[in-house]
Amino acid sequence: MAELRTEEFQVNMGPHHPSTHGVCRLVLTMDGEKVVAVEPVIGYLHRAIEKICENRTYPQCSPMMDRFEYVTAMSSDYVYALAVEKLAQLEVPERAEYLRVIMLELNRIASHLIFWGVTAMDIGAYTPFLYGLREREDIIDLFEMTCGQRLTYNYIRIGGVSRDIPKEFEPKCRAFIKKLRGKFSDYEGLLNENPIWLARTKGIGVLTPETAISYGASGPVLRASGIDYDLRRDDPYSIYDKFDFAIPTQKTGDCYDRFIQRLDEMKESLKIIEQALDGLPEGEIKAKVKPKFKPPEGEVYSRIESARGEMGAYVRSDGTTKPVRVKLRGSSYNHLALVPEICTDVLIADLVAIFATLDIIMPEVDR
Amino acid sequence: MGLIDHIRNLLKGLGIAGKHLGRHAITIQYPEERMEMPERSRGIVVLLSDKETGELNCTACELCMRACPTAAIKIVTHRDENKKKHLDVFEVDNGLCCFCGLCEEACNFSALKMATKYEFSTLGADELVWDVNKLQEVGRDVDYVDTRKKKKPKPEPKADAKPTAPKPEKTDAKPKPEQPATVSEPVNPAGSSTEEKVNEEPLPEEQERKEEKKEGGPTDGSV
Repeated sequence: MAELRTEEFQVNMGPHHPSTHGVCRLVLTMDGEKVVAVEPVIGYLHRAIEKICENRTYPQCSPMMDRFEYVTAMSSDYVYALAVEKLAQLEVPERAEYLRVIMLELNRIASHLIFWGVTAMDIGAYTPFLYGLREREDIIDLFEMTCGQRLTYNYIRIGGVSRDIPKEFEPKCRAFIKKLRGKFSDYEGLLNENPIWLARTKGIGVLTPETAISYGASGPVLRASGIDYDLRRDDPYSIYDKFDFAIPTQKTGDCYDRFIQRLDEMKESLKIIEQALDGLPEGEIKAKVKPKFKPPEGEVYSRIESARGEMGAYVRSDGTTKPVRVKLRGSSYNHLALVPEICTDVLIADLVAIFATLDIIMPEVDR
Repeated sequence: MGLIDHIRNLLKGLGIAGKHLGRHAITIQYPEERMEMPERSRGIVVLLSDKETGELNCTACELCMRACPTAAIKIVTHRDENKKKHLDVFEVDNGLCCFCGLCEEACNFSALKMATKYEFSTLGADELVWDVNKLQEVGRDVDYVDTRKKKKPKPEPKADAKPTAPKPEKTDAKPKPEQPATVSEPVNPAGSSTEEKVNEEPLPEEQERKEEKKEGGPTDGSV
């Protein structure tokens, strides 16, 4: 009798697989149920944002940034505005900085709520998705009330913010903080100790600190591996040095830790929003920017801690109204590079869990 | 963890979901029910009309066209014998519009607004291009704060003041140099040079205007 032998074969996962969070194709080399190798194929969501910006004036680039990372569009608006402000050495009014911090942190919570729901749905629990998006709706309503849009805000501009918050914003925001604090016990009770959930996530896709650093991971992925690094504290921008907040970290860096990490971060973001609402000063919301805005010649790189990790913008100016080069850095790109590294010898279902907990979104990868 | 712990933890999650069983639905059944949009909501671009005369507030200054990052606004104007600008074409391509709100902010004459309306689905892409009549008609019932009203009394004593609104009795008013002084055409989304397009006799400000156009508007339509 001939000996039983197995043969490796290739399977395409995506580009339109729902768990790839956008359009990403994963070419899997399988040995039976086991994934032997993963090769991500990117470029399906490429919109040439960086190139488009070269043909637009500085203020006109701002709506393009909304499309760069549309889950936390406030962050991508901000990182570009920060770069141009550095370049032109603009003084931003204090009230604008406070408003920016409130919006950035609200957007971080909104993004983590999506993460919480979508990760649960990818792994097989449907209920959290509905709860997460329900609470996110309140944040989106706050944004819509302030800037008029629900996803592509175009709120944080060069020199400040586009509009002041309406009167009803503060009470609604405080009510939301109170409401979300009450929801955390529900969130934690739903999955954190669920035996099926633990079996699906504990010890799966372990990312060691060394690998994380060598691949340039940042944000919650890095902190879940136990490295205490957050740009809000370690390279303070805006007025983050005025607030008192902790940086949660986890120990092992498996899927479960990355999941818990975001829940912890939401609580800290709520603290920052509360402090910012308490200290919100009166005053101007936008520095004076000339209609024909021309920053001086030079180049600058700005970086912030977005919901996914380090987000950066490199802007080079030749002294005209249009930037010569805009380069955007999205942390999802680095995190996608981690997938082949940590997805060896796992099941397809585990691959989905790893992909989901890295919180990769494709617009940030392809730009 | 023993089997009993497992079952208890499973039931705990189920219990939390069970709490929501009696809650009423939060879904809004569109189109039977509609959400009330917030006042600042950025929807369709509309042209506003004067609350008393019903005429367009637009002065054809083209600031919105130059602010638009996707070249969705197309304006064609001509000058009469008194060098006053008149609007020939004002088109908004809703298929190109990215609802960023920069045109609304650029407008100094309360002429253009992003209304809270959001329904403009059509059967063809061509129908998404709205001309001035359609834009005005949709904007008729849009409420707005008229920021021109404060400026209005000022120009009356001075005949050569900067025109703030298209008023028929002010045909002898001279346009100020900062008003665009050419028979101008929209920023060409196809990406060809804007220099060739100015074909009328050039006025002194023309050179400057061309410079600005080259730098200002987007020169390609790829969005």
